Amino acid sequence: MSGEAPRPYNLIAELSYRCPLRCPYCSNPVDWSRTRDALATADWCRVLEQAAGLGVLHVGLTGGEPSVRDDLEEIVAAAARAELFTHLVTAGLPLSPERLEELARAGLRSVQLSIQDAAPEESDRIAGTASFDRKLAIARKARALALPLTVNVVLHRHNLGRVREVIGLARRLGAERLELANTQYHGWALENRAALMPSREQLREADRIVREEQTRPGPEILWVLPDYFGERPKPCMGGWARKNLVVAPDGLVLPCQAARDLPGLEFWKVLDHDLAACWRDAPGMNAYRGEAWMPDPCRSCEHRSRDFGGCRCQAFHLTGDAARTDPACVLSPDHAIVVEAREQPPDPSWRYRAATGK
Amino acid sequence: MSEAPLPPDAFAAALREIGEERYHHRHPFNLRMHEGLLSRRAIQCWVANRYYYQTRIPIKDGLILTKSPDAAFRREWVERIHDHDGRQPGEGGLELWLKLADTVGLERGCVERFDPVLPGARRACDAYVEFVSGHDLLESVASSLTELFAGFIMHTRIAAFEKHYDWVDSAGLDYFRSRTVQAPKDSRYGMSFVLEHATEREDQERCLAALRRKCEILWSFLDAVDRATSRPSLVPQALLREEDDGSSVVVLSERAVRIGGSGAEILSLCDGERTGNDIAETLARRHPEAGEIRVEVHDFLEQMGSAAALRFEPEPPEATGTGPTSEEAAAPDPAS
Repeated sequence: MSGEAPRPYNLIAELSYRCPLRCPYCSNPVDWSRTRDALATADWCRVLEQAAGLGVLHVGLTGGEPSVRDDLEEIVAAAARAELFTHLVTAGLPLSPERLEELARAGLRSVQLSIQDAAPEESDRIAGTASFDRKLAIARKARALALPLTVNVVLHRHNLGRVREVIGLARRLGAERLELANTQYHGWALENRAALMPSREQLREADRIVREEQTRPGPEILWVLPDYFGERPKPCMGGWARKNLVVAPDGLVLPCQAARDLPGLEFWKVLDHDLAACWRDAPGMNAYRGEAWMPDPCRSCEHRSRDFGGCRCQAFHLTGDAARTDPACVLSPDHAIVVEAREQPPDPSWRYRAATGK
Repeated sequence: MSEAPLPPDAFAAALREIGEERYHHRHPFNLRMHEGLLSRRAIQCWVANRYYYQTRIPIKDGLILTKSPDAAFRREWVERIHDHDGRQPGEGGLELWLKLADTVGLERGCVERFDPVLPGARRACDAYVEFVSGHDLLESVASSLTELFAGFIMHTRIAAFEKHYDWVDSAGLDYFRSRTVQAPKDSRYGMSFVLEHATEREDQERCLAALRRKCEILWSFLDAVDRATSRPSLVPQALLREEDDGSSVVVLSERAVRIGGSGAEILSLCDGERTGNDIAETLARRHPEAGEIRVEVHDFLEQMGSAAALRFEPEPPEATGTGPTSEEAAAPDPAS
């Protein structure tokens, strides 16, 4: 396949997998520490320029934690020169308010800040490091700089009960948008699934509260029920290699943040090819593009153009075969795996994200 | 299993809480009106648009009448129609509103033909009639309970006009004065009706939802007037980009808005100087052949506003509008 790749609108630039936080639901690969930051400043600048040439409009600078890189200002400036809308996805540290001001000056246009809980000690406990106060300082600075602020809170068994407080916090911080992201079980979250999985009652109560709060003035609230409790899978990434492209810290171009774990797929690096080729021609990018790869029941399903068969990574991690229907779908022959997982007794403890051995 | 109904006190408190939080006394346009911060033409725009709302009220009340099999209810409720329409020509709330329109310097015929009615304001008013048309008696009465808060806002408004807008003759405020008496009376009846008839929790929830919806409608009405009388400009973080095919796209956090049709020309006039109404007039003069251009402008501003692509700065109270700008004044009229 060549020439006829869809236009990517969004570049997810994972500048580094390093992060001062140790959240047990991190979506980075479990063996993240094996992946080095292989792209120099000039490499990122070239990637951003090539992304704009492909039709990309947005770039999300993320990680890990993007502010661990010393050259973030230069990268933001390069994105601004390429006329990309530049969005910083940060945990709030090691970023400082002063540095955020520098980034705004370099052309940064909006900020997404992760907060782990509305209760400071709980937020610090999940993050595995004292961070809550620094996060609030970043939020205040973003508002002072008139940068639109999105607050992102990953939800799970240990904080769902405080969803109203979370919404109150986002309102107090002057966020324009609040993403209430129920944990998706990839990466570290899959490792810690039994500790994070909420009960159906918790979700029902949270759903009631969120719907009520959504009608009040305040931030736009994005609330998506976890797919383990739904009937249909999520339209993961808006379809495989369809709208979003990811460049990982080692330069690997991927259709999503987790796809490097899928065996047998060949992806290319921006150090070896230009971005257009990595997006259009790498065999891995074309493996699940469109609908030709779909098995039953997806291939004849009326939902296939909406959910694209769900998540390939989830299919692989739960069934061992990335080409099967996402087991989150009630129509999947493997759906029992999901049912069993959500009904398991909760595990009282989790394992923090950490570096694995070399 | 359904939940137990709220005790009457708690139910009444829940209804009042909705008003406290969502009634349009908190809307920025009303806040500015009451602080004396509206320009003369902003007041005129509000009066002309609000006339359309006033004309929908007796229609809505007529619909409510048809829903009740109870003569005592109808006898009570029909008074509202008399209040608005009067017992004979030249009386009633609609007439008083037209008197207000005269007083603020609007041409009566133009107001009665609804010429200045903004598309968003019209949609809001029609949505109220449609709501009542499509819901049962209980929800319809509950939606009228915004009157609980109307008496209070009328007092504020009379005081604000007398203090800040001395160019409006005090006699023009008679509509507001009449409502300070009618609204509390009407809302007492409405409230007791709702408390008496919403005995199941589910009915109570429907009433609360109806009142919320009504507050939304009033809010969106003022949003439309606010946009038309404020000065739009692109939000500072927006990125305006040209696509390969020559079209434009406004890129924002989390979204991008493609600008099609007349959008690019409208956007070029969103300079932070012209109001929404100014932009509509400018384009109507430029393109006299395009019949619906005013509607296009206001709808575009609404879409771009809800996408958070535009911000709207109120014009200061002393602004009078400049008529044709130097650009239009210098250019030959395309129609001549």
